[in-house]
Amino acid sequence: MSTNFKTYRPYVSPFDPCKPILEKAYSTPPNLYMGFQPPNLPQFTPMEALRAGTLWKPLFDTWYGPLEPGGKGGLPQ
Amino acid sequence: MKQVPAEYYQLMEQLQAVDFVLVELSLYLNTHNDDLDAINQFNHYAKERKKLKKAFESQFGPLQQFGNSFSAYPWNWDDAPWPWQV
Repeated sequence: MSTNFKTYRPYVSPFDPCKPILEKAYSTPPNLYMGFQPPNLPQFTPMEALRAGTLWKPLFDTWYGPLEPGGKGGLPQ
Repeated sequence: MKQVPAEYYQLMEQLQAVDFVLVELSLYLNTHNDDLDAINQFNHYAKERKKLKKAFESQFGPLQQFGNSFSAYPWNWDDAPWPWQV
């Protein structure tokens, strides 16, 4: 399944004093996958748009990090 | 102390929402200058903004300076509340 969360596997030093995090995730914005914005996308109402930060629904992102609860966060399934 | 009525915040919020729509549509139209629907929507909200601005200013004084807004008598540009006081 396609998702806005991408992952990478950082280098782990053998001298790392902490338990290594083998896979790290980060969030990417939806406009990256749209290319040129097509016309007549579904819109938010003006009041919703003010809070969503965008007028167009497909461009909305909660922008929660993968570790933050509350968002649709979490590592990609 | 004088308090601003609840209507002040309602009108201001509507104005902000419409302004945001106008910003979004402006940015969109910069790259889609032949989208008639979007232009109609833009003009609709531009008109809406004028209405809201008039309603707001008639009750709470000028929003902008240098001839973009009218003043009542006496001069009320410097009346409280200032933007950072609401």
